[in-house]
Amino acid sequence: MGMEEYMTPGEIVGKSYNYIAGPGTYLNPSNSTIYACAVGLKRTIPASANAEDKRPTVEVVKEKEHGAVPEPGAIVTARVTKVMARLASMNIICVGTRAVKEKFAGTVRQQDVRATEIDKVDMYASFRPGDIIRAEVVSTFSAAMIPISWTEMQCPLTNQIERRKVARAV
Amino acid sequence: MEYISPEGLRLDGRRPLEMRQLHAQLGVVDKADGSAIFEMGNTKVIAAVYGPHEVQSKNQQLPDQALVRCEYSMANFSTGDRPRRSKGDRRATEISLVIRQTMEAAILTHLMPRTQIDIFVQVLQADGGTRAACINAATLAIADAGIPMCDLVTSCAAGYLNNMNYMEDSAGGPDVTVGLMTKMDKLTLLQMDSKLPMDIFETVMQLAIEGCKAIVRYIQNILLENTKQLEYQRGLRS
Repeated sequence: MGMEEYMTPGEIVGKSYNYIAGPGTYLNPSNSTIYACAVGLKRTIPASANAEDKRPTVEVVKEKEHGAVPEPGAIVTARVTKVMARLASMNIICVGTRAVKEKFAGTVRQQDVRATEIDKVDMYASFRPGDIIRAEVVSTFSAAMIPISWTEMQCPLTNQIERRKVARAV
Repeated sequence: MEYISPEGLRLDGRRPLEMRQLHAQLGVVDKADGSAIFEMGNTKVIAAVYGPHEVQSKNQQLPDQALVRCEYSMANFSTGDRPRRSKGDRRATEISLVIRQTMEAAILTHLMPRTQIDIFVQVLQADGGTRAACINAATLAIADAGIPMCDLVTSCAAGYLNNMNYMEDSAGGPDVTVGLMTKMDKLTLLQMDSKLPMDIFETVMQLAIEGCKAIVRYIQNILLENTKQLEYQRGLRS
């Protein structure tokens, strides 16, 4: 199949006018060069027939993948730990088909449980602690509260309002 | 005290510009995501890397990149006298910071936002150049963990002699430690103890950089050997 080429981080894989940088590589725009960022075998995948970019994709195939991290859009498997009126907390144990090395925390909001009648959702009737659920990651930020008046702040995730002293409401 | 004999040999029989023997092993701590033991002569250090995983304290989370934490410690039995060392002693805190900044420059942290990467390095046997050995061990452990890096960082310490051991180090002469991203040819660490005239500094720094380049060749071989060994065990090659 041709020469087997093993790469280590920092080695030059190719030029960006010849290749698209795939997983295991990164592009340095200042000199249009693609470098490896992992240890593994270099592999070139030709562009699909109907792609408008005819450049083949070059990637470095790692032997050991680093632990799975939940990203927006990923399907995760989680175990429910706490159920409250407007949200349920859980520990994410798998991302896709890969188990995580150490758990990640997640929450399901009342308005994300189902598509219809979202304000009539009863969290206690939907989840119990210990349940294993499958969910799609909507976003990964732990939001800071937003001030809404001189005595109140609101969490953007749960829309819960808490009384706080606010210096200037924007 | 004669650091170079009339025949031109040092206390351990090396030539003035010669490096110590290198030895490294990957995957020595099963629980860790990546780990390595790195030896430069008699200096032996072990590194263990955990991550990327969820940040322990949410308020320290960085929204656009991974948080890199590093902890350096010396085993009580690592030096000739075996003092009771406290975790937070000033030298250990300083070296932890130095190693963290050096490795953070090489890890592609923007690929893993809102996560944390922990690097633990412990000196098992100290014979000069522990800081440099720790950086080399950390590079190997991070590569073993599969965490993306823009380049391999290697480190070497030099003074008037290259890669000094404890006896030569405690002589009180200049000691320049260099951390280099070899393929990019960029420095990520430059530290010096004692004083040096400016014109000699350039030469000493070049000596340390040469040491870094020799170490990176060895580290690349170790990483490739390890990958081939893993492929062999998975049955992808015979």
